[in-house]
Amino acid sequence: MQSIQTCFNFDLSKVKPLEEVLKYRTFCLEAVRQSCRGGTIRRNHSPVSGARLLSWGTVDGLEYGICPKTGSLFLTEIPAPAAWASLLDKVNRYRNEQAFDVHLKQSRLTSVYEPKKAWIEDTLRWHHLERPKVLEVTTPPSELTALLQTSPLVEEVVVWNETNPRPEGLWPEAADAAILLESLDRSGDPAAFLKRVHESLKPGGLLFLTALLASGFDMKVLGTKNLYLCPPDRTNCFSLNGLTQLLAQSGFTFIEVSTPGILDVEIVRAHCLQDPSIRLSPFETTLLDADPEKLSALQIFLQQSNVSSFARVVAKKN
Amino acid sequence: MRCLVFGCGYMGKIRAAVLKNHPDVTQVKIYDPYVNPDREPMAPDLLVPSEIPWKDFDAVFVCTPNNVSAKLAIEGLKNCGHVFCEKPPARNYEELCAVREAARARPDHTLVFGFNHRYHPLVQAAKDLVGEGGLGEVLYLRGTYGKSGGKNYRQSWRNQKEISGGGILLDQGIHMLDLFQYFLGPLKLVNSLLQDSFWKCGVEDNVFVLLRSARGAPVFLHSSATLWKHTFTFEIGCEKGYLKANGLLSQTGSYGREQLVIGRRQFEDEALALGNPREEIVYFDRDDSWRLEVNEFLSAVKEKRKATHGTLEEALQVMALIRDIYAIDSNLL
Repeated sequence: MQSIQTCFNFDLSKVKPLEEVLKYRTFCLEAVRQSCRGGTIRRNHSPVSGARLLSWGTVDGLEYGICPKTGSLFLTEIPAPAAWASLLDKVNRYRNEQAFDVHLKQSRLTSVYEPKKAWIEDTLRWHHLERPKVLEVTTPPSELTALLQTSPLVEEVVVWNETNPRPEGLWPEAADAAILLESLDRSGDPAAFLKRVHESLKPGGLLFLTALLASGFDMKVLGTKNLYLCPPDRTNCFSLNGLTQLLAQSGFTFIEVSTPGILDVEIVRAHCLQDPSIRLSPFETTLLDADPEKLSALQIFLQQSNVSSFARVVAKKN
Repeated sequence: MRCLVFGCGYMGKIRAAVLKNHPDVTQVKIYDPYVNPDREPMAPDLLVPSEIPWKDFDAVFVCTPNNVSAKLAIEGLKNCGHVFCEKPPARNYEELCAVREAARARPDHTLVFGFNHRYHPLVQAAKDLVGEGGLGEVLYLRGTYGKSGGKNYRQSWRNQKEISGGGILLDQGIHMLDLFQYFLGPLKLVNSLLQDSFWKCGVEDNVFVLLRSARGAPVFLHSSATLWKHTFTFEIGCEKGYLKANGLLSQTGSYGREQLVIGRRQFEDEALALGNPREEIVYFDRDDSWRLEVNEFLSAVKEKRKATHGTLEEALQVMALIRDIYAIDSNLL
């Protein structure tokens, strides 16, 4: 198995500035509340371990439970499937038309999506997958789709709207690779969702997955005050342990498990500036008051120790 | 397949262990008249020293000191036809030419030389990324491979010229030369500098070599037995980026964790600062090189085809380079 460390200079303002996140978050929370008014399904048990969820805390009145065995977080009240699909679509449209995806289109393309394309292409080369048929599981439109369609390595990109139970075009056992950029974080039933992804892949097919982690530095330090923890994007916030357990249970073997995040330290510092009520421990304060060189070393340490909050996984269908 | 391993040293034990786990191998025996069976954990696999029962084996693995490897490879070709011989292929180019003659006399042979570094994960990953793999043509290569020697260094057969044929270049540097040719094809020697600066064994303990590819790409090697920290670094400069390999998974772990830095060229308009591009560091946690190399040899035998790595032609190319390196600077020793 391999793991990845990333060295790349860009800052939060280039991809997801806190002030933009606040606007986006307000929209999302209101959309979730509206969606829940039509009735909800309650999740009492961890989708990973089956253990009864313990109360963890609330995010603007929306309750999250924690899996006692893995430390993963789950929104406990989920809107009904039809309302859920419409909610994801609404939020995605807002992000694409009014939020940071519009204002920061170019910098997000170069800082977020192009590196992901390079990651996917490098991995395809290492596994000698020639002209694969790739399934991108997302709420369309996705910036990555267009990028992958320009890749000389990829034969075809089929978009599977994650709110549909079945992909159109590639089903079953027809895809050489499937890509889930944070879409597992948005699923009301992640185990069933992964099972369908597994079924869509050819034997030996590759799964590319990214997720934001509850076991990562900024989540651990900020807890419920982390403004990036907000449904529907973070309906599930797995720990790295929870995520890998779920993938293993779903019939995947790991090729890469990494947390090559770049922004944990900056996210915590930005939160502290924005919200003076956030109290850090004296040790955390010492760490985060350090000079830029030491902060950079801290971020590298988080990557190397798999405790950054951005996870990247490549797994192979057994 | 029934396999006979010559030599019960470090390499012989590694090869025997891999062979025992291979599904096509039905029998593994080791021949080493210098080993005392009473003190050898692998005694049940040892053949009692007597006449070698060639007819009982389909393939032989030569894992002996260099002074007998060419001789055994020739015998193996004559008697079994399928030979896997550890590096160096021989003590010198002339000895290897004799192996070539034996191979010509046995057209149905499979002959592979052990250059397992090609199968290390960082080398395989790097190979997939150069050229059409996205990074473009190779502009230059630079490699450093070295070890610390150790208190028994002077006594080791590896540093007695009569047995080994040379010093650190023939021991470790040969791997790096093979990797250079894996990436760039046959190389020509530009210049070399050899030193026996510290160990004073009568063989080189440091070598600096400058080479050039057929397309003109410069290549530089430093092979050393006085690197007090064990080192394996391999840099590949390409048109659209660069690769830096560092560390090598080994049984002792002394070369460090195996990692490959992947950098893609970015100018001012693509990055925050010129000369500070995005880098990814891939860490590899598993070395399958021994298993993959043996698998390839056994598959080539089974499928009656030429092996993809470690061929006689490649061995001749690397031994010709070593001949030229020693010729240009042997007076410094």
